[in-house]
Amino acid sequence: MSAGEQMSDRHDCGGDAAAYALGALEPGEAEVFREHLRECAVCRDELQAFTAVARELPLAARQYRAPAGLRRRLLAQVREERAATAAGRAGRTARRPARGLLAAAGSLAVAAAAVVVLELSSGLGPTVFPAQLRGVGGSAQVRVTHGRAELVVRHLSALGRNQVYEVWLQSGTAAPRPASVLFGVGPSGDAQVGIPGEIGHVSAVLVTREPLGGTSVPTAAPVIVARLDKADD
Amino acid sequence: MFGNRRSLRELADDDLMARVREGDARAFEVLFDRHGGPAFSLAFRMCGSRARAEDVVQEAFLSLWRAGGRYDPSRGSVRSWVLSTVHNRAIDSFRRQSARPAGSLEESGAAERLAAAELTEVEVERRSEADQLRQALAKLPDEQRKVIELAYFGGFTHQQIAAMLELPEGTVKGRMRLGLGKLRVTLTEVGVVP
Repeated sequence: MSAGEQMSDRHDCGGDAAAYALGALEPGEAEVFREHLRECAVCRDELQAFTAVARELPLAARQYRAPAGLRRRLLAQVREERAATAAGRAGRTARRPARGLLAAAGSLAVAAAAVVVLELSSGLGPTVFPAQLRGVGGSAQVRVTHGRAELVVRHLSALGRNQVYEVWLQSGTAAPRPASVLFGVGPSGDAQVGIPGEIGHVSAVLVTREPLGGTSVPTAAPVIVARLDKADD
Repeated sequence: MFGNRRSLRELADDDLMARVREGDARAFEVLFDRHGGPAFSLAFRMCGSRARAEDVVQEAFLSLWRAGGRYDPSRGSVRSWVLSTVHNRAIDSFRRQSARPAGSLEESGAAERLAAAELTEVEVERRSEADQLRQALAKLPDEQRKVIELAYFGGFTHQQIAAMLELPEGTVKGRMRLGLGKLRVTLTEVGVVP
């Protein structure tokens, strides 16, 4: 340790605030620190100050324009996805009766284990798949209407700082893939988020807590699991 | 009304995000033009490879496009969200490939690999703030700057850094704290952070 590196004597919680702001704590340490933040105003203030600095660090990198080729590819993919989404909506609308029956069959299979609300009398209402919550408070369900799914959570536990809930889709035994849906909850713990894309082959909707900005592979066990098909029960 | 791209460019980020939520590809294009440069610059600094940096940025912006409706302004600005996403995607990339380019931590080495004219360093936009950040970092003692760069741009945990530098973990955390504290003072003086 070099001169001048003595920790401040005004407060010492192990210096975790700086490491946390830099994303340099191990996942377990970060969880413990988030718990610590609930009761330590000094660390909360310190973290707020350090986070403000960390947010500016990207600009310490030499600044370049984004490559034109990257821009072209990205915008082409966005337009393609937009067109596919529009086409998918039209297709799902055309297949509405079959989709409704399929969803009903899946939800009835789940009904033996949990309360399932079906609104199929008209063929237009949502099919509701209750979810299991693990390690968090509240309730959650996935509602499928006309082949479009949405996740509805109530009184869900608040996230730690720099965390976000991320939604994953699982088909059979395949590894979960990102749904590209990130969400947080307000003081009430309530949220309602749409799940983009085709839901027909999805057997489970999962939610994990991830670092702000999300990840491409889950880094923690799911806190919400909603099973959508009979085969995996 | 905002019927053309020029009008869109006059909108604030939050307003553009509202349009992205509705599937407005032109609003997304404006957001990319506004934040794509800083995003690519961060990714290139972290990855040290143009191809990997482009992949990371493309993944991050596609996430923004697909999940734009989930953006929560109360958790920070659009720029912070974008850059945080890029940062996390780059670290994911390191984990998936079980390797990270040590050279990416040294900007001079990375810059030498940028030959294309389209990557000419931005001369005016962002330059002032970027210069202030670099100057503030340069003022730090080497040992404090090193651990901050290894953590933020290298994606290493304090334990990994301690092992690399053969230092006690507490020393690494202490250097991070001292370094960020000094940066905070310097950046507050020049008005970069409130």
